Amino acid sequence: MIKTLVSRTWKFFKSFQLTIVLLACLMALVVLCTLAQVNMGTQGAVNAYMRSLFVWWRTPALPFPLPVFPGGGLVGLLLTLNLIAKTLDIQRSWAKAGMWLVHSGLVVLFAGEFVAGMMQVDTNMSIEVGQTVNYVQSYKNMELAVIDTTDPAWDEVYSVPDTLLAKGGSIAIPGTPLTLNVKAYYPNAELSNLPTGAPPSMATAGVGPGVSVVERPTVTNDNEMNQASAFVEPMASGRSYGTWLASIALGAPQSFTHEGHTYSLSMRLRRQYLPYAFTLKQFRHDVYPGTDIPKNFSSLVQVVNPSQKESREVLIYMNQPLRYEGKTFYQASFGKNDTLSVLSVVENPGWLLPYVSCVLVSLGLLVHFAIVLRRSLKRRQDKKEG
Amino acid sequence: MLKTSMLPHRSTSFVAKASLLAGAGLLALAIGCGRDQVSHFRVPKEAVADHPDHPGHEDHAGPAQGMPPAGGDMPAPPRPTGQGSLKWSLPKGWSEVPGEGMRFATFKSPVPGKNEATVVVLPGVAGGELANVNRWRGQIGLGPIDEAALAAARVVVKTKAGALNVYDFTSEGQTKSRMVTGLISTPDGNTWFLKLTGDAAPVAKAKPDFMRILESLRLD
Repeated sequence: MIKTLVSRTWKFFKSFQLTIVLLACLMALVVLCTLAQVNMGTQGAVNAYMRSLFVWWRTPALPFPLPVFPGGGLVGLLLTLNLIAKTLDIQRSWAKAGMWLVHSGLVVLFAGEFVAGMMQVDTNMSIEVGQTVNYVQSYKNMELAVIDTTDPAWDEVYSVPDTLLAKGGSIAIPGTPLTLNVKAYYPNAELSNLPTGAPPSMATAGVGPGVSVVERPTVTNDNEMNQASAFVEPMASGRSYGTWLASIALGAPQSFTHEGHTYSLSMRLRRQYLPYAFTLKQFRHDVYPGTDIPKNFSSLVQVVNPSQKESREVLIYMNQPLRYEGKTFYQASFGKNDTLSVLSVVENPGWLLPYVSCVLVSLGLLVHFAIVLRRSLKRRQDKKEG
Repeated sequence: MLKTSMLPHRSTSFVAKASLLAGAGLLALAIGCGRDQVSHFRVPKEAVADHPDHPGHEDHAGPAQGMPPAGGDMPAPPRPTGQGSLKWSLPKGWSEVPGEGMRFATFKSPVPGKNEATVVVLPGVAGGELANVNRWRGQIGLGPIDEAALAAARVVVKTKAGALNVYDFTSEGQTKSRMVTGLISTPDGNTWFLKLTGDAAPVAKAKPDFMRILESLRLD
């Protein structure tokens, strides 16, 4: 009974029909995901169609979403299992060495996409000419930065991620006497002047009391940004410092002082500080003579890494990224009349896997071709002799 | 594509590989969960960009307490109405659009090209004149200035609502941006900001009319 079940499962996973169905699903997903990008933005569509187990459909008639189509995650997983089953099914003989290599290469390619999907981190670095920057920041994820600005040379930055704010409750800030009571968190909100006669704001300190906050649905479109906002009450040694409104829409930090330490609060895009820093020495935006058509964008940066005792100039330009300490820095955008350069930063621990896959597949095809050629030549020779 | 003579006796190796995949997934999840904590960094204070024309930028060590945010048209008090509210007259061809969000009003000029005038009102001194001027300079890629340079750049315009401080800055770069701003405090304690921004050429054309708007300011 169990043997039959295992045998059937095995047969199912190695069936060629499964491959065809899954490839068809993948094609449909690519089309759907491409169309969905119009409304959902690139990242929103990729998350909904490609990096999920199911494509969900929400309808007001039902309180829960319905799975309507297998997502890229499920199709990819089944395709990988199908491919592994097929690979294991190949004869273990030298005559099939090429096929083994080709199939292993494909498994590595699939694994690479899973690693990218789960572990790739996309951030960016914006630097103005002359400025030195030692962090990259997220495109969408937020953080509430509680910064002890007391020291004249250093800032002690405590980052509270938006995911933690969303849980609410009390958040102790380790290394400080502070505890933050999250009174409300809105992943997206619209801020405006508090109209006369409107109910008072939840905030009692800073600029918050004069600002009205209305929650809005979150956006995923590339051109829009969620205006994450939160009402937080810092507490220290049993004392409340009032309720503050922190929002990405409020650019500058607000601050309070506790026992000689000044703490500033600001909602901002999540930062990842680096053990090295980039200084933008020059940004070039060349156009073809007599036109506004861009010819080249390039950033000349000074990379300073004290731990490696390294200080060198690097030119980053289109299609010529800098790979450094596990991150790849691409020239992505610019602004402020060509005095600001934006580098897109990608960290993918599996970036080498597609290259390994290509090598394995190419090698596999060569080996297979050589084996078949040898067999064919031998057959021809045998015929002649016979 | 493949020969199918093999049987499930290799399922051990299959299970091993599947477990490896699942393990990788769990590891990724564990890494993902680790992001849900308060993290701490000790970082050197951020310096404002040094520009060749402004080598001695000010020390930004202190917290920017109460300073309006860099986004531009930010936090605002209840919208002033009646007494204390500013009024103005628009030159021919100009139109006014009621403000949205934090903006009190937006003026549309008849000058073609990128230019726009806005009115923002903030409570109190709104972080101070120097902080605001440096914030605006930052918005068009210019470095910060000090009190002495601020005084040198200031043009005082007399209006019926009181003295108005006007600044005019033009950026560097291939496409130059220009910004003409006026600040005035009203008796109810608010600070009003009237700002004309855009590409240098259209702003230059719209400036005479904008200055007429500034000169026409009066209390309601």
